[in-house]
Amino acid sequence: MGPSTDNICGDKTQRDTGRPVPALAHLWLVLTTAAICIPLVWMVLTSLKGPQQIAAAPYAWWPSPWRWQNYLEAIAVIPFFRYLGNSILLCLGSVLGTLASCSLVAYGFSRLRWAGRDLLFGVLIATMLLPWQVTMIPRFLVIRELGLYDSLWALILPKFFGEAFYIFLLRQFFMTIPQEMIDVARVDGCSEMGVLWRVVLPLARPALATVALLEFIATWNDYGGPLLYLNDPDRFPLAYGLEQFVSSHSSETHLLLAASVIFTVPMVLLFLLTQRLFVRGIATTGIKG
Amino acid sequence: MSRYQQRAGPTMISPWLIGLVVLTLYPFAASFYWSFCRYDLLSRPRWVGWQNYGRLARELAEGGTFARALGNTAYYAVTCVTLSVVVGIGLAVMLSWRVRGKAIYRTLCFVPAVIPTVAASVLWMWLLDPHQGLVNGALESVHAPGQGWFKSTSAAVWPASWPDDHQGRIFGSKDGLVLMSLWGIGNLLIIYLAALADIPHQLYEVARLDGAGRFRQFWHVTLPLLTPVVFFNVVMGLIHSVQAFTQIYIVSDGQGDPAEATLTLSLHLFLAAFQDLDMGYASAMAWVLLVFVLLVTVWLFRTSRHWVHGGG
Repeated sequence: MGPSTDNICGDKTQRDTGRPVPALAHLWLVLTTAAICIPLVWMVLTSLKGPQQIAAAPYAWWPSPWRWQNYLEAIAVIPFFRYLGNSILLCLGSVLGTLASCSLVAYGFSRLRWAGRDLLFGVLIATMLLPWQVTMIPRFLVIRELGLYDSLWALILPKFFGEAFYIFLLRQFFMTIPQEMIDVARVDGCSEMGVLWRVVLPLARPALATVALLEFIATWNDYGGPLLYLNDPDRFPLAYGLEQFVSSHSSETHLLLAASVIFTVPMVLLFLLTQRLFVRGIATTGIKG
Repeated sequence: MSRYQQRAGPTMISPWLIGLVVLTLYPFAASFYWSFCRYDLLSRPRWVGWQNYGRLARELAEGGTFARALGNTAYYAVTCVTLSVVVGIGLAVMLSWRVRGKAIYRTLCFVPAVIPTVAASVLWMWLLDPHQGLVNGALESVHAPGQGWFKSTSAAVWPASWPDDHQGRIFGSKDGLVLMSLWGIGNLLIIYLAALADIPHQLYEVARLDGAGRFRQFWHVTLPLLTPVVFFNVVMGLIHSVQAFTQIYIVSDGQGDPAEATLTLSLHLFLAAFQDLDMGYASAMAWVLLVFVLLVTVWLFRTSRHWVHGGG
């Protein structure tokens, strides 16, 4: 899809084609947007109320008093920093593994000619459509046989073998790099690794950033992986630890919502700061997540 | 094609190739083999022929757990995908209107898509609480009946599941999940907005000269030109929603509550494998899921020539 959508707020880059709409339509747009945002507003406001106010009827939107200490209590009740540390380790390891493996593989699939390449690329595309349930059980046993069960490596190591979606995304980008630039580097005596490292990767920085961003978010949010591979609460990342907190403290809504807000805010901020990368990743390849 | 590149190519893709064999192809073959075995992880897999598939067929015929799981999966996938097309296009068209502050509306409508699934599930469990939830509160304030949501087995699009004296209380747990998935529709919005921006401006001018109003422009220009993107989204959406797991696991207490109303294939399979340690049965179910996804995809591709613009 076209470059016209690099920015979700594409007013600057995008041709404005529509005619101005009537005021009533504008009002409808405002109301719809408000309806979409209300759940988030509710989450933040409720996370600042006391337990009595949450249970009280009639329902009041504004916290009274504003209990900022909910956040401190939530952090104290759940082993927050341990979970956060695990989440950060997982995210760093996964992003590193994904970038290293996927850029290498994408280069092999895009800038080198070799027999069997297109066939294997077809296999790569096919694996994207394979439901994860089909391979779930034997994959679990492979990881267990490798002695990785109940270790963060169970979740990080597979990332070093590349993921089809990101390989596809990077390959699309690598193919846009002019052949002359690669040829010049080869004539200058660069090995293929040298070409990748000195020519392709520097030019592909936006695509690499998109992959890093999507993988970071996917890992931060991942729940199924920890559910399957982790057992020791000391190794839980936030996504899983938070939910464990829910099931054991279901009466303490205010703390629960405060914890959810702490967990969610980094993702929203990341999105607001990196909208361009985000939108490009989705618009060039279709769907993710 | 130089011999050098012939050597370098496979070397560079080797990480993926190793992963393909160890983490995809071997598991693929093993799960097919195990689907014909009894296997509890503790002793070696024992060949039992078609027994697991026979059990699935029997449950299907008798309306057992597997039949319910299949029905729940189909309900969730079809409702999600259908509504996502309608809501996705509707919202994308609104967000492409020329209004002041368009950028802000687009950003705000996308934000729910970046809310982590765990947090979104927890949030919606509160919003949809039958007694204290915001959604029922809003319904009741306009004198509409409050709904059962995650506490009810009812399904709005399936009248047979409505309670006898429902009095308008028809939305149940599956509808709650659908609502949640529609809330996080942002990725689709980006794709539809991109497709809308790619429609040539001149087509609308020609339509206007022919006297077409806004509605007819939408019906005769916008919609036909969007069909390839709709097709792509329907195929991906179905594959995606059939595999949905995290939100279902969380809102259903990890058990498909209430009364198996949210027990989808992916959840049933997970529980059969890691709770009942019935790997053979779970593997058979995974293969049924795969065949189900393939059949639906093939069917969609076959029907596409009738409704996809320039398709076939």
